[in-house]
Amino acid sequence: MKQKGESKLLKYLDERIRLRSLMSFLLDEPIPGGARWAYVFGSMVLFTLILQFLTGIMLAFYYGGTPDHAWDSVNYIDHLSFGGMGVGRLIRGLHYWGASMMVILVGVHLLQVFLWGAYKKPREIMWLVGVVLLALTMTAAFTGYLLPWDERAYWGTIVGTNMIGLVPIVGPILKSAIRGGVGLGALTLSHFFTIHTMVLPSMFILFVVFHLVIFRRIGPAGPYKGDPLALEARKEFFYPRQVLMDAMGMLAIFLVIAGLSLLRPPGLESVANPSNSSYSPTPAWYFDWIFQLLKMIRPEILGVVGLPALIGIVLVLLPFVDKRPERSPFRRPVAVLVTMVVLGAMMTLSVQAERGFKKLVSLEPRSVARGKLVFRQSGCIGCHTVNGQGGHIGPDLSEEGLVGHSEHWLVVQFVQSAAHFPHSPMPSFSYLKPDQLHDLAQYVSSLGRTGWPDPTK
Amino acid sequence: MSEEVVLRMGVPVLNEDGHEVGTLEKLVFSETERKITELVVRDLASLKRIMISQVRSIFPHSITLARHGTLETLPVFDPTEFEEVPTWFFPPGYQIEIGSLVTLKPADIREMGEDAACSRREFMARTTAVVAGLIGISLVVPIGGYVLAAAKTKISDHWVPLSVSINQLPMDSPVSHTFRAVSVSGWMRVPVERTVWLIRHSSPEDPMSLPADEKLGLDSELEKQFSTPLLTVLSPICPHLGCSPQWIDDRKRFICPCHHSIYELNGNRVSGPAPRPMDSLPVKVGKDGDISILYEQFAIGIPKKVRLA
Ligand code: HEC
Repeated sequence: MKQKGESKLLKYLDERIRLRSLMSFLLDEPIPGGARWAYVFGSMVLFTLILQFLTGIMLAFYYGGTPDHAWDSVNYIDHLSFGGMGVGRLIRGLHYWGASMMVILVGVHLLQVFLWGAYKKPREIMWLVGVVLLALTMTAAFTGYLLPWDERAYWGTIVGTNMIGLVPIVGPILKSAIRGGVGLGALTLSHFFTIHTMVLPSMFILFVVFHLVIFRRIGPAGPYKGDPLALEARKEFFYPRQVLMDAMGMLAIFLVIAGLSLLRPPGLESVANPSNSSYSPTPAWYFDWIFQLLKMIRPEILGVVGLPALIGIVLVLLPFVDKRPERSPFRRPVAVLVTMVVLGAMMTLSVQAERGFKKLVSLEPRSVARGKLVFRQSGCIGCHTVNGQGGHIGPDLSEEGLVGHSEHWLVVQFVQSAAHFPHSPMPSFSYLKPDQLHDLAQYVSSLGRTGWPDPTK
Repeated sequence: MSEEVVLRMGVPVLNEDGHEVGTLEKLVFSETERKITELVVRDLASLKRIMISQVRSIFPHSITLARHGTLETLPVFDPTEFEEVPTWFFPPGYQIEIGSLVTLKPADIREMGEDAACSRREFMARTTAVVAGLIGISLVVPIGGYVLAAAKTKISDHWVPLSVSINQLPMDSPVSHTFRAVSVSGWMRVPVERTVWLIRHSSPEDPMSLPADEKLGLDSELEKQFSTPLLTVLSPICPHLGCSPQWIDDRKRFICPCHHSIYELNGNRVSGPAPRPMDSLPVKVGKDGDISILYEQFAIGIPKKVRLA
């Protein structure tokens, strides 16, 4: 590939590291049937993985992986700003939404490979490596969940590790090994941190390299239909058209992740409180369907062990059981039908699970700020403690926002406590105007969810 | 040719008379025809192209041509007209073992003519670079800010009330006062013990009631604003190399044990290697004599009083 206007640098490098043939190895990969938008998903997954690496390293710069610092350090990151730009929250948002997007994209990629029949001979091993990468992604999501060490993280992980403990024979020992003891504590956090930031990334690198090396040795599967000669005639190289398409795909996913990070930055609930028995943990959204399914399957053990085992076995055995060379989804109706049913079931279960969760009141920052004033002026603090200050006649309200009361419930509580608690000593605040009651309810709902002090000030 | 033949670089090429005229160097593969169309043979002078139609027989150990004499008259192989592809280029199932010998023209050049292909490639390459640049910049900027954010965080000033009243202090004699403070380190608040020199002055007319650094104009606005002739607060850190000067009552001087910098009561440097007087700190004295100070630290070893952020 000699071009006339080659730069001196290129020549220099070519003489020393044989750059041109390296580039040609990387870029001149033949794609049967030509470049297509359908091929961008693999690159998009790789991109989100790299984004996770980058933002993860950044977060680790300021993170303290012990129970007495983890929450503070995450709160610190949330408040880091540079030139008026909330960079800390942005980086954390990118990592948070990047994880969600990566889970989605891995799913889409897997689905596509399945539907296009691209796992069939000779790509069985490549598929297996892909299954390992899926497992790594889910493990990364699970271990990352604990790191902020807030209520959601703590209780979510309690449930997650308890599930591991249900596995027969090895379960209990596995659970204690992962937790680093009987309960969830300092060792659990450092175990999870190490797994999340050292074990998983190195395994990711290893298996991604595997995946790509196999890919380059065996070549892309190409379209599922069309006669080989015609595909050969329309053959194109990876560079430049497919590279451009991949870049566009990456840009699109980056815009989505960045947009979500700016518009819906991840929250931070109050610091993990092992004595808060009223907290009802919810899983990350991508585990919703498992959560819902586990509620239905009895005995529990069947769901906890059976379900992941079933998924694992199906995924691993698939290319070895389904040996017919037919790749077109149109001629594999059973496979497609089963996929549709499974997908549909997963979505229904997720929606059901989300419905079952208590909805937390959505907050308007201004209203919360006004409500804080009403709270102070109305003397609530005389009976209720908030963040360590106040009286003890009523319950501690520091985490009241996490309980999941609706705004209506709260307003009734303010004007007529006896409706909820007979013989309630809490006075009626019926003199407050409806606006003020709304603001007050907003403020009470924000307790335990937002409004943390800025440690950089 | 239906039989499988393995060709390697350096196989001798013979003419019809059985004389060796050169060795096999490369194969030219036409993508459209999906077959090898030419051989490239190295003779004594250069690389020559031979059409496959001029080849009579191919064996793994020799290739025989259907022509007499040397290769002199044949066209010379120009590598810039071709593109080299390694073995992995061929999809699985191809039965040509070619080592690194195959040469062919790139597909798009063949189809569209060289110029069109080049400009199209160029355009796509540029667009890709722009997209990559966009992503890169929108990542590098926040990451850069993020890394610098902690470094640039302004330390907020905390006035620390001391547990001593000015009325309890002796006149014109420094007292070393230790107090508790919190030092902020990232997300951590660490309780620390700090020490300052407190010097109560008997009269505002006494020249010693004016700290030497204030007299020399080294003080910042903040330090100038919170200064009083009743009391001088001196940092315990020697501006030379950071040791702790001690008050020697006999000589009425601060003397630094490390390098023997000597200072007067108001911090004025009398002798020694220190580049500036001892550093005075902002202080407020209330009506009832309570003292609060602002603990600052300054760069050492330089004549200017530069506050460490
Ligand atoms: C005289 C003391 C007193 C005052 C003042 C008071 N409360 Fe209460 N509050 C209580 C007690 C006691 C309860 C527990 C329920 C019961 O036994 O009636 C309670 C319960 C609550 C609850 C429900 C907690 C739960 O989830 O079960 C909320 C919310 C609440 N108070 C908010 C407020 C707010 C807001 C104010 C100020 C406008 C306020 N309270 C003022 C005594 C008080």
